[in-house]
Amino acid sequence: MTTFLTFTILGLVLGSVYAIAASGLVLTYNTSGIFNFAHGAQAMLGTFVYWQLSVGWGLPVWLSLLLVVGVFGPLMGLLLHKLIMGALRDTAEVAKIVVTVAVMLGMVYLSQWIWDPVEPRTLTMFFGADASVEIAGVVVRVHEILCLVVALAIALGLRMLFHRTRVGVVMRGTVDSPDLLRLNGHDPARVAAFSWALGSALAVLAGILITPVSGGSLEANALTLLVIDAFAAAMFGRLRSIPPAFAGAMVLGLLGAYVTAYFPSEWSWTGNFRVSLPMILLFIVIIVLPQDRLRGAATRTRERYRVPSVRAAAAWGLALVGIVFLYSLLLADSGITTLGLGMAFAIIALSLTVLTGYAGEMNLAPLSFAAIATVIVFHFGITGTGLDATLNLPGIVLAVLATAVVGGLVALPALRLRGLYLALATLAFGALLSNMVLRDTVEHTVAGFTFTLFPDGTLIIPKPRFGPVDMGEPLTFLLVATALFALISVGLAALRNSGYGRRLAAMKDSPAATAMLGQNLVKLKLSVFMLSAAIAGLGGILMSSGMGSVDGEHFGIMASLALVMLVVVGGIGYISGALFGGVMSGIGFTLLVGTFNDLAISQPQAATFFQLLGNVVMVGTALIGMGVGKTPSGSVQGIMDGYRSLRHARPVLIGGAALVAVLYVLALAGVYGSWTFSLLAMVVVMALPAVGHKLMPHAVTAVEGHGHSGQDEIRDDEPFTDALRDRLDLALGLPARVPGVRAAAPVLKKGEEVNAPA
Amino acid sequence: MPLLETQGVTVRFGGNTAVNQVSIGAEEGLITGLIGPNGAGKTTLFNTVTGLQKPTEGRVLIDGTDVTGLSPAKRAKLGLARTFQQLELFLSLSVRDNVKVAGDILRATTRKRVDLDAETDRILELTGLTDIADRDVSDIPTGRARVVEVARALMTSPRVLLLDEPASGQTEQETEAFAELLTGLAEGGLAICLVEHDLPLVMRLCTVIHVLDYGSVIASGTPQEVQQSPEVIAAYIGTEEVA
Repeated sequence: MTTFLTFTILGLVLGSVYAIAASGLVLTYNTSGIFNFAHGAQAMLGTFVYWQLSVGWGLPVWLSLLLVVGVFGPLMGLLLHKLIMGALRDTAEVAKIVVTVAVMLGMVYLSQWIWDPVEPRTLTMFFGADASVEIAGVVVRVHEILCLVVALAIALGLRMLFHRTRVGVVMRGTVDSPDLLRLNGHDPARVAAFSWALGSALAVLAGILITPVSGGSLEANALTLLVIDAFAAAMFGRLRSIPPAFAGAMVLGLLGAYVTAYFPSEWSWTGNFRVSLPMILLFIVIIVLPQDRLRGAATRTRERYRVPSVRAAAAWGLALVGIVFLYSLLLADSGITTLGLGMAFAIIALSLTVLTGYAGEMNLAPLSFAAIATVIVFHFGITGTGLDATLNLPGIVLAVLATAVVGGLVALPALRLRGLYLALATLAFGALLSNMVLRDTVEHTVAGFTFTLFPDGTLIIPKPRFGPVDMGEPLTFLLVATALFALISVGLAALRNSGYGRRLAAMKDSPAATAMLGQNLVKLKLSVFMLSAAIAGLGGILMSSGMGSVDGEHFGIMASLALVMLVVVGGIGYISGALFGGVMSGIGFTLLVGTFNDLAISQPQAATFFQLLGNVVMVGTALIGMGVGKTPSGSVQGIMDGYRSLRHARPVLIGGAALVAVLYVLALAGVYGSWTFSLLAMVVVMALPAVGHKLMPHAVTAVEGHGHSGQDEIRDDEPFTDALRDRLDLALGLPARVPGVRAAAPVLKKGEEVNAPA
Repeated sequence: MPLLETQGVTVRFGGNTAVNQVSIGAEEGLITGLIGPNGAGKTTLFNTVTGLQKPTEGRVLIDGTDVTGLSPAKRAKLGLARTFQQLELFLSLSVRDNVKVAGDILRATTRKRVDLDAETDRILELTGLTDIADRDVSDIPTGRARVVEVARALMTSPRVLLLDEPASGQTEQETEAFAELLTGLAEGGLAICLVEHDLPLVMRLCTVIHVLDYGSVIASGTPQEVQQSPEVIAAYIGTEEVA
């Protein structure tokens, strides 16, 4: 009985904190329509600031608390709203998700920059761990009582806010009809700003309360994910309503406590199960809850993607293989290995191009499918042992196919979900896989088979060898990976240009209209999910064998989110976006940060500067991610468009190519290293559009102007001629004028002309 | 027997009855009009007929078959097609591909083997879209975009076509051509149900008109009968009561 009471209280305490966090989430979602993935990171950042004030600088607890919850939290929320979130209305769901994910990652990087993760930090309970009272034979700490009281107060306070105050009533209406509110003299932006401030303060409060309860140590990733557990609670109220979110939070807290109390601790997976519980609940709740009925495109999104022809894709693919080969000649073996790994990541990124870019569906855990394929190929695809071990082709094929099937099975319950809900379901699946499978290091016996899913927490994956093609050679690995990337890209281009591709595009643009044409959406989604999982699986096998040995961390949810973000930054609808996102997330970070760290070590007098640069790279990438709201089609294609205008300025192109070739030969001759070459070549290539404009303005502008010359809409930068005026009259149904009369009529200003009765 | 029929269809959102006991039909070869003030429930009725909205009560029949429980896709397979009041075009596709994709779906989901390109060209020609076939669908004016929706629907070789305010945003010339197109389609045996605010157009094209107000059918009949119905006049012009 005492056990039951003890764990009930523990569960209620955890539930209270989840409830506080969840209510903040619901608040911001309701007033801005944005599901804030950064909620946990805000809690984390606030908790670190609180630690800095109260422990680091020794301010009194009450003052620190006041400053953090009363000033820092609301200010952070306000700034987020003003700088980033406010501009996200009318953007696609993908952009909204990626921007808040970028904020989350940016906050995690920022906190690791400010507070060196190597140094341990702890927060103790309010009033100390010993301050307790005994209730019915159970020792309850004052901190725990405080959590309960605070949650209760917040519940009552929010209820008062929503039902008794003007601003609360207005908040309830904001998401449903901002225009209506505006007509009634309210300012939805101000309401949203208020709710962001309040939501952020609640997140911070939750972070400060939960840290001592869950062990007391401050760790940026763990703390961020801890509050993400509150997603499940928020989902109980379909993100709309706070009372069910409170109930959900209590269910979540109690279940967790009871699992700890009553599941046999000798079961190896009890701990893993306990950790995964919120995500399992999230998955179940999302699937069980009634869904919005099928709708058309909720917002007219701004993204437009140009579709490449198969021939163009093939040409680009060949060029890529050629360039990578030439570049590899400049690199040492370690550089070649790293680049090969980047290509493997780029292949995983292609799984997002087809799924999100072409079909408009979301998967926030692409690396989970990479992990599944890796586990399968580890168990079934290795021939030989020790140094002679290789991956065999049947094993790889099996792993890829099995991953497709698993992808389908995972997606099946989630298939009627769309947008945010599907994204959250995949996030839950990814977290579940990380916690349950990738930490499953003990032996199981099922039906006579003895196996260990993830022995010792590390899988050694050898490289494949096909006859004379030995991928153990770094250069061979790189070329095979690049060729595979190119091949899949050409395949995707062909797919996008086929009837299947058109059906995917239709489903993305308007599910309702697509269904009305007779398309079974579930089947179509299932097929594209399986295809995407297969591609991610293949890339995952390459990635794992490229690394040689992998552990669960390599497939974690944070890594997945960073990959998704970078692919969207690069351009989710484009192959080039996948190349950029994959290479950046696979090796860009490691390479850049590593280079700066090396520099810091080799030049101690400038060490701080180089460490700073390394951190700037991390946070900077997240900042770019936050800009996705403004450039939802991605940045790579924008850059490419700059070159499109050079098509007719041949001499400039040839000159640029020749210059790069000379630089390359010099590098090959050893005049300078590969880094210098990369830098110089990049400068030359980047400067080409500007040079083109300067040297051959006519050729360049002729191409740029070509775009609309054949079309018949009237552009506002064109001179307003009589011919256009007559067409406008015709379109407006005004009586036609005789051209001769117009010439004789006195010249009127435009405004008068329009206002004159027809 | 009407090709498309609703029997006592009622749709309630909470305490609000959007569609109330509506039993109407659309006959082969005829254009049936559905008119009523904004918010009368016309689009909700269309959504219910096409399967995007579940009715609280009542049945929907296509050619005598009860389709109330079927998905939109299955209903489409039985010959139901529609256009949307708020355009639902596929913005990443060209005008031609917007039409062609309907054929792609047909080809992928049935055993019908058609020459897609020829059929697409024929529909584009029929609907007068050939001149803008290769334009981005987001670049064309609303009036013509509505015709693209009709063309896309026609590509599924429907037996029943529901049009939700197809003429709004069209110029006079476009409406004229559109009226001709509809007449031709009806003569070819298509059952057309037309929701439209352009009353002269409705009066000219439709054989039977149903008037919807606050979710209920308040009048049905020929254009002349409907125009003289006191309920209809009250609904459109308002009674003395001031709301």
